[in-house]
Amino acid sequence: MASLFQRRRSKATQTERVRERRHEGFLRYANFRWAKISGGLCLLIIVSYALIDVTPRPNGGSWYGYTLGTIGAGLILWLTALGYRKRKMTSDHWSLKAWTSAHVYLGLSLIVIGTWHTGFQLGWNVHTLAWVLMMLVILSGLYGVVVYSTLPAALSNNRDEMTQMQMLEAIRAFDRQLHAAAQPLTPQDTAPVLAALDEDPFAGGIMARLSGRYPDCATAAALRALGASRSSDAGAREKVVGLLSQKEVALARLRQHLRIRALLEIWLYVHVPLTFALIAALSAHIVSVFFYW
Amino acid sequence: MSFILRRISTTKTGKQIVRDQPLPGDAITLGREGSNVIHIADLAVNPHHATITSADGRHVRVQASEGLGFDFNGRTVDAADIDSAAGAELRFGGHRLTIAREDEKIILLVERIDELSQSSKDVDEAKAFSLAGVMPGKRMGAWVFGVLVLLAFLIGPIWAWSSFRNVDERPQGYHADQAWLSGPLSSAHKSLKNDCQSCHVEPFVAVTDKACVGCHTGEHKAMSMAHANAPTAMLLAARHPPGVGERILAGFAKTFNKPQGRCVGCHTEHEGAGPMPATPQKFCADCHDGMSARLIDAGFKPTVADAADFGTIHPEFRPLVRPSPGAKPMRAMPGKGALVDYDGLKFPHDLHLQATGGVARMAASFRGRYDFGNKLECENCHRVESDGVRVKPVEMERDCAMCHSLAFETVGGVTRTLRHGEPDQVVADLMAYYRSTPPTRPLQLGGMERRRPGNYAEGQVYNIYFREVAVRPNRAEDAVRAVFSKGGACYDCHTIFAPQAGTGWRVMAVDQTPRFLSKGWFDHDAHKETDCADCHTAARGSKASTDLLIPGLRQCRDCHVGEGGARLVKVETATESPCAMCHEYHSDGGKPWMPARQRKVNSAAITNKPLRATYGVSMVTGSAERGLYDVTWRTPALHGARRGG
Repeated sequence: MASLFQRRRSKATQTERVRERRHEGFLRYANFRWAKISGGLCLLIIVSYALIDVTPRPNGGSWYGYTLGTIGAGLILWLTALGYRKRKMTSDHWSLKAWTSAHVYLGLSLIVIGTWHTGFQLGWNVHTLAWVLMMLVILSGLYGVVVYSTLPAALSNNRDEMTQMQMLEAIRAFDRQLHAAAQPLTPQDTAPVLAALDEDPFAGGIMARLSGRYPDCATAAALRALGASRSSDAGAREKVVGLLSQKEVALARLRQHLRIRALLEIWLYVHVPLTFALIAALSAHIVSVFFYW
Repeated sequence: MSFILRRISTTKTGKQIVRDQPLPGDAITLGREGSNVIHIADLAVNPHHATITSADGRHVRVQASEGLGFDFNGRTVDAADIDSAAGAELRFGGHRLTIAREDEKIILLVERIDELSQSSKDVDEAKAFSLAGVMPGKRMGAWVFGVLVLLAFLIGPIWAWSSFRNVDERPQGYHADQAWLSGPLSSAHKSLKNDCQSCHVEPFVAVTDKACVGCHTGEHKAMSMAHANAPTAMLLAARHPPGVGERILAGFAKTFNKPQGRCVGCHTEHEGAGPMPATPQKFCADCHDGMSARLIDAGFKPTVADAADFGTIHPEFRPLVRPSPGAKPMRAMPGKGALVDYDGLKFPHDLHLQATGGVARMAASFRGRYDFGNKLECENCHRVESDGVRVKPVEMERDCAMCHSLAFETVGGVTRTLRHGEPDQVVADLMAYYRSTPPTRPLQLGGMERRRPGNYAEGQVYNIYFREVAVRPNRAEDAVRAVFSKGGACYDCHTIFAPQAGTGWRVMAVDQTPRFLSKGWFDHDAHKETDCADCHTAARGSKASTDLLIPGLRQCRDCHVGEGGARLVKVETATESPCAMCHEYHSDGGKPWMPARQRKVNSAAITNKPLRATYGVSMVTGSAERGLYDVTWRTPALHGARRGG
């Protein structure tokens, strides 16, 4: 008996090793196992919805609607539990990758479960609010899946084998050199350099982060000002201008890094809070149904 | 008097090394340029920023030289006088100049206190590089959104419910529980949109029938007679075995206390604006489909045949008939011989409906006088009640006497007729006729012989009966006998009983059934555009009045198919017919209810006489009925408004 388990475990380890070698992500996990399960579930729902004659008209209150609603509500709570699961280290066979794969595909199947639960009756009420929130959560999650599979390559390309602290360190180094090189400049010329030094590389709101556009960039302004200035010693000024343009490049790299990271993270700021809004709306939806039974 | 410049450097281990350097001269210059006594490599400091002097070796004066001041005690000033014993802190750009006094000497301590640049500041890598630095936290958002949704859509509605618990009508305006409205109310209940509590009386208690009958007082019994009188066990046995879906629904209903068999089980609400939908066929077919077998299994005797869908599974009609003369009406058993109905009359429909022949000729000759066409039509004699369902009995005076006159004498232009329906009176009248005046003209009442052209109509003595002239009675008894005997006026249409001991001449009672299909509600009004004979197909060939001319299931199925369109025969224009189109559940004596949009529009062609109601007539003088002798309006032959308008 023990040897049987031994063998089974070694086989599991072997499968895991193959997966590791292929660098199998959560999307392809176990040869799209969860994609198949959730696709089958959706197909089953769509076909059975068409075949089952619900009276007087399809809605959430029919037996079919109750069934889909119960499945959907349970699924929403389970999907939310990913946030708990990912914080909990286990060595069980329910790996986080498997869990995430199921989360993604079952979450997508919720589009069908939830929408078919409504019987396509939507209105301005808490029931439709719950549906809308659910759809927003799913769509933001879908966005997350898409960016997770496309943006990391861009992040890596932009990074150019530097860590993000190294990127910042580069800017710091240029700042120090700038500070030293700008000493001979006239007060008129030092002012834009000082402004460039005073600029926080992490400044800018969420829009600047997402768009990567910083129209009030002090470094660019200093570059323009010193390029046009004639007041200081030409040699010193030229050195400062050179340093400023080097800093601008370093800054652009950092900002691109921040932008990609923002694009990678922004969906979670929709996904997570709206999930809790959804759970609240779902609770209100369920309570309302039984309250006005 | 001397100034000492103190420098403090910090080693890696945190140890501080203090170096003091005496400064030459009385006036110490301070600036970014290297020629200054105190050289501060700070871009925020001017090349020649300030001069520090002391007149007495204790009080220090700091004077800015190039317009750019310095910070002293929090304010930007151009000059400051400082007692070095008291000490002071001045700020030049990112540096701090501390003035103190030690051993009669003025100590100037210069330190960089600001970072060289903004980027040089320490950052929390996890926070700075992610969105956490620029977005409110996810946890915060989750709490805010969750609490807002709960407040607006859970607490608010419950609050609205509790504040109007026992109120009949809420004030106008928005009430939070309107957010719970799962769908628009039907048009009948539209006004209750604000008043959830009028139906949802108790929380977590399914809508009760009590809430319905609170307004719907006395409109109908909760259940039909047939269902209400049946034992519960029988009703339960009648139900079809539940499928997976119904078991799930029943499970939900049981778990969450949603009793079955309430008004709202059939009359569903929140299904969309407009009229409440008619109860679908399934509510009946759930039990009635294959019910008899289940009832027999359960030991009950089924009284109705199985019905599931009008187009496919529906029993043959069982009209109400009198199977023998004088018998009580009973429901026919189709399939057991020809259906007969003894109403007591003799009436060959075929003779009267012929397109040619004596009857048609006679009818044609009355055109313009009565609403006859070239021949007799059904509606010349038969009339439907205003409910559209029942048929008025044929009345001799109104429906037969146009042709079948009972006149026997004209006195001064006034025609005397025998009393219809009163045989004793007939006998008495004839007796009196013979007794008072000897007949100046022969009594001309008799059989259906060929008439002489030109002599007709009730205004004159009915000259159709020539045989009577030949065999005219000359005694009263003979005349009476002739009227009641074969060939006589009464005998033609009625069954006559000859006088027995103690009785005179008797006529068999006539029973005309107003409604043959007592379980279904056939609406003649809805079928106005169809010819009578299209459905009553047997009428043209019927030789005896005992023939039952009620259409069968087959005729209905020419147009009517099941609710879902199911059919057994080819149908050109199909009318989808749920049970509730003909059958009425509540047994409250009315026609089955139907949503307005499904009702046939009761429209008439402009040639038709408009309904009286369309004029809003307040008073009508004269006879409202179409009288026998005052024909002013004629039905156009092309149209089907055949009951005289």
